Amino acid sequence: MTRDLCIEIRGETLWLLPERAIFWERDGSLLIADPHFGKAASFRAVGVPVPHGTTLHGIRRLDALITRAQPNRVIFLGDFLHARNGRSRETFQHLAEWRAQHPNVEMLLVRGNHDRNAGDPPPELRLACVDAPLIVPPFVFTHRPGRIPEGYVIAGHLHPGAVLVGRARQYERLPCFWFREDDAVLPAFGDFTGLAPIAAHATHRVFAVTADAVVEVSGASVGNE
Amino acid sequence: MLEAPTAGRSTAPRKSPTDFSLLEQWLSSQGRRPFSFQRQVWMSYLAGESGLIHAATGTGKTLAAWGGPLIEWMLERSRNSDPGSPSAPSVKRRRDAPGLRVLWITPLRALASDTLEALREPLDALALPWTLETRTSDTSGAVRARQRRRLPTALITTPESLSLLLSREDSTEKFASLRLVVVDEWHELLGTKRGVQVELALARLRTLRPEVRTWGLSATIGNLEQARAALMGQSTEQASRIVRGEEPKDVVVDALVPPVIERFPWAGHLGTQMLPLVLQAIEEGESAIVFTNTRSQTEIWYQALLAARPEWAGSIALHHGSLDRRTRDWVENNLRAGRLRCVVATSSLDLGVDFSPVDRVLQIGSPKGVARLLQRAGRSGHRPGAISRVTCVPTQVLELIEVAAARDGIIAGAIESRLPLQRPLDVLVQHVVTVACGGGFIPDELLAEVRGTQAYATLRDDEWNWVMDFVTHGGAALGAYPEYSRVVRRNGLCTVDDPATAKRHRMSIGTIVGDADIAVQYLRGPRLGSVEESFIARLKPGDRFIFAGKPLEFVRVREMKAWVRRAPSARGAIPRWMGSRLPLSGELAARIRTRLEEASRGEFRGPEMQALRPIMAVQAKWSRIPAANELLIERVRTREGHHLFFFPFEGRLVHEGLAALFAYRMSRLCKITFSTAANDYGIELLSADPAPLDEALAGGLLSEDDLLADVPASLNATEMAKRQFREIARVSGLIFPGLPRSGKTARQLQASSGLFFDVFMRYDPGNLLLTQAHREVLERQLESSRLGRTLERLSRSSILTTEPPRTPPLAFPLLVDRTRQRVSSESITDRIRRMQLVLERAADKIR
Repeated sequence: MTRDLCIEIRGETLWLLPERAIFWERDGSLLIADPHFGKAASFRAVGVPVPHGTTLHGIRRLDALITRAQPNRVIFLGDFLHARNGRSRETFQHLAEWRAQHPNVEMLLVRGNHDRNAGDPPPELRLACVDAPLIVPPFVFTHRPGRIPEGYVIAGHLHPGAVLVGRARQYERLPCFWFREDDAVLPAFGDFTGLAPIAAHATHRVFAVTADAVVEVSGASVGNE
Repeated sequence: MLEAPTAGRSTAPRKSPTDFSLLEQWLSSQGRRPFSFQRQVWMSYLAGESGLIHAATGTGKTLAAWGGPLIEWMLERSRNSDPGSPSAPSVKRRRDAPGLRVLWITPLRALASDTLEALREPLDALALPWTLETRTSDTSGAVRARQRRRLPTALITTPESLSLLLSREDSTEKFASLRLVVVDEWHELLGTKRGVQVELALARLRTLRPEVRTWGLSATIGNLEQARAALMGQSTEQASRIVRGEEPKDVVVDALVPPVIERFPWAGHLGTQMLPLVLQAIEEGESAIVFTNTRSQTEIWYQALLAARPEWAGSIALHHGSLDRRTRDWVENNLRAGRLRCVVATSSLDLGVDFSPVDRVLQIGSPKGVARLLQRAGRSGHRPGAISRVTCVPTQVLELIEVAAARDGIIAGAIESRLPLQRPLDVLVQHVVTVACGGGFIPDELLAEVRGTQAYATLRDDEWNWVMDFVTHGGAALGAYPEYSRVVRRNGLCTVDDPATAKRHRMSIGTIVGDADIAVQYLRGPRLGSVEESFIARLKPGDRFIFAGKPLEFVRVREMKAWVRRAPSARGAIPRWMGSRLPLSGELAARIRTRLEEASRGEFRGPEMQALRPIMAVQAKWSRIPAANELLIERVRTREGHHLFFFPFEGRLVHEGLAALFAYRMSRLCKITFSTAANDYGIELLSADPAPLDEALAGGLLSEDDLLADVPASLNATEMAKRQFREIARVSGLIFPGLPRSGKTARQLQASSGLFFDVFMRYDPGNLLLTQAHREVLERQLESSRLGRTLERLSRSSILTTEPPRTPPLAFPLLVDRTRQRVSSESITDRIRRMQLVLERAADKIR
C-alpha cells in the first residue's frame, strides 16, 4: 500500500512518491535527484569496507518505480554517479541491465557537482547529459536549488531532512520534499546518502517521506491531533 | 610490602644493598632516602621480575620504577670497565648514548613533559650518558624524524604514539636493546580501549624482545590482581609481583553547603549562589586547584571567578586536555612554582607529579566515585605534616548526598574496580593493520601473540578469521570486494603495500579517544588548542565563543583550522566536548541508597544531610523517600505529557539499560511512544498518553525472565548501538579524522558513522563490528551483569507508587534532562501525524 501525494504547482499536477521521486503528470516525466550510484565502490577503492548492495538496491528500486509510474522519460537532477573511482564494472553492468529493461523510456541527466568529477555515464546507457539549467516551461530543472527567472526550479543537491517534534518530547528526522516560493528540493534517491536538516519557513510546504507514504508536515496539517 | 611472586621462578633477589649506592648517595645529598618499597622494586627488577606498584599519587612510584634500569646500567658499566678507572665521562653526542632501554607509557600526553622532568633529575645528578625524550602527538616533525633515525635511551610516549612506532617497518631493530616498559597510571588505561591497545603493544614488544620486563604504576583500585594480570598477559615465564607503596595520607572530605536552601533549589544550577563560598575557600589557601567534571565547566568557572575578582587576572588559570601544549606547560610550571592562586581544571590535572604548593582542592559537581575523589584530594597537602583535603561544591543540592556517601566509601575503604575489556574487535582490526604496516606478519604467529594478551585470551577462531577477512578483503570471504585493498597476503606474509593506505592508517591510530578535532588559532598569532569539529560546524563567521578562557570571534575554517580573532566582550557559546558524562560508580550508588534509607527514618547524619533536610521533607510530603529495599515509582502529569519516574539508584549506565527495557516491555502492551531519560538516580519514561504501568507491573516488568531476549530487543528499539558504533567506526578505520589538504577526494569520502551503521544493518547485518557495537552497549555501557543483579534486587523490593501533585525534588533533574532515547510501538507515519516541523527561528517571528 503506497500512499502518494498530489500537489499543484504553476497549474501543473505533481505526484510526490514515497520512492523519493516526483511524477509530473502532464509531461509524463519522472524526476529523481542524487542517486550517487557507485558511492560504496568509491569507498572500497580506498580501503573502506562498505558492504555491497547499496547501488544494486538503488537500481532495483528505480526499476520497480519505473514499472509502477510508467513515465515517458526520466530526468535525473544531478549526481548520478558519485565519484570517478566508483566507476566500477559491476556498477555499470547492473545499470546496463536496468536500462535494457526500459528501452523506450527517454532518459536525461542534468549534471551536478559530483558528475563533473565522476564523468558522464557510458554512452551505452543512453542517458542524454546536459548542463543545468534545463528549461521545460513552467519548470526549470537544475542540480543546485535557487531562483531562476525562467520558471519554477526543481532541484536536488541538498539531501533535505525535515526535523519534527511532538508532545512528550518526541523527535524524528526524515527525508523530505521541500517546496519554497521559487524552487523545490527533492530528497536524495540514493541509499548510501545522509540527511541535511532544513531551515524551513512557515510559508514553505514540506512533505516527509516514510517507508510507504508521503506526509505533509507543514501548514494545514500541523497540529491535527 | 612485598608479596610473593605469583608465577614462574621465584629465585629471591640477593643483591647486596651497596649496588644501590650511587642512587642512594644522590638521594641522601637531597636529604632523602629510599622508601623500602622502592628498594624492593629495584631488587625485584634486577632479579628479572616484572610487577605492578600501587600507591597514592606523589609517594615515589616514579622513582621506584626508574631506579631499577639506572642501577642495572651502572652495574653493567662497572662490569665492563676497568675496576680502578673512574666512571665514563658523559657523552657529548646523541648517537654515542646507549640505544633504547626504557619505554615509559603515559596515558595523557599532558603528563609527558612532567614525567620528563621527574626522570631527568636522577640522570643529571648521576651524570649518566643517557638520552631522554618524549614522543607524543605534541612532538615536532624534526624531533620525530631524528627519532626515526635513532631512538633515545629512554622514551616517554602515549599508547597511540607507541602504536605508531610499531607501524614503522624497522620496528624489530628499534627495540633490540629494550629492557623495560613502564606503564604509568595503569588504572586509568585499564578498562578502556586504549588499555587494550597497550596490552597488544606489550605482546608485540615481548615477541620482539622476550626478556623485556614490564612494570605498571597504579593508584589503589579494587581489583589489583586483575590489573596485574592484564599487564603481564598470559606469559608465565616471567615472575611478577604486586608491590604496595606508601600508605595514603589522611583524607578530609567536606562540602560547601549553600547558606540558604531555597524552596525549589533543585530547579536549577547552584553555580552563582555558590560563587562567594568558592571565592572564600580559594582565598583561605595559598594555591588551589578547582576541579570540574567537564571541559566546558572549566571555561564557565574560570569566567565566573575572573568576573568576580578581576584583580586575579594573571594569577588564575585554566587547564584542560584540549588546550594547546604551551598553555598547559605554562600553567603546570607556574602551579609548581607557587605563582598561581588558583587553577580551574578537569581530570587533566588528576594525574602526574606533585604540585607541592597546592594546599586547597575543590571539586565542583558530583564526585562520581570514591577512587576519583581520593585521587583529587591527594593533589593537596604535599607539605610536611599537611593532610589531604577536598572540598566538594554541589552544583545541584542533591549532590550533597553524594558527598556524604563518598565520605562513607572512603572510610570503609570501598575503592572501585576497573574491569578490563574483553575482545574489542575494532582495536584488534586496528592493531593487525598496524603490524602489517610495521614489516608484516604471519597470521598464525600473530594469532598466538594476540591470544597471549588478557583481552584476547578467549578470542575465537571465527572471530580471528573474520578480522583477517575484514582487513584483507573487506568482509566475509564469500562477499569479497574486488576493488578493496588494505592488507595484502603474499607468500604467507601479510603486509600493507600501498603507501597511501599506510599513511591513512597512521592518521587514524590516534583516534581511539575523541572526536575529529579542529585546531583553534588566532589569525595573526598562536594556536590556542582544539575543539570538536561538530562545535565549529555550528558557528557562522562573526559568531562569538569562549575558549581557553578567552572571548573569541570565529572568522573561518581553512586547512583544518578554525581561525579566530579576539572578541571585545566575554559573552558567547562555550564548546562542549563529547563523552564527558561520567556515570556514578556502583559503590557510590549503594552508599547513596543507605543514606536515603536513613533519611526515610528521619535520620540526618552530618552537615550535608542536615542541609538537605528541608528538601527531603518536600520529597516525603509530595511523594516518599525510598528505603534501601523499596523501589519508588512516581507518576506525574504535566503539560508535556505523562511521566513515570523510577528510582533504582544504580548509576546512569544501568539506568539507560533499564529505561530501554521498561519502555520496550510496556510498548508491547499497547501502541505507545516513549521518550526516555536516565541519570545517576533514576529513569523517566515520558509518553503523550498514560502508560500501562499497573498492567506491566503485574505482567513482569521487573522480572529477570526473558532478559536475554528482551534486553537486545530493547536496545534495537533505541539508538544506543548506533551511538556506540561511532567510536567503533573510527577505531576500525571506517571514518577518518580528516585528510588535510586532500580537498575534493576527502569530501567525497565523507559519511557519518550513523550512515555506516544503517548501511551495515541493512546490507551486512552479520558484520562483527555491528555485533561488537551491540555487545559493547550490553556489556560496557549497560553493564549487563549489573542490569541482571539490579532487576533481581528490584523484583525483591516492595514497590511504592505515588502520584505527586507536581514534580518532586528527586525527579526534577530527570524532567529537565535533554538527552533522550525513543522506544515506540507505533509506525512512523502514525507518529509524525501528531508532530510538528521545526521551523527556522526567523520564520517564527513572521507568524
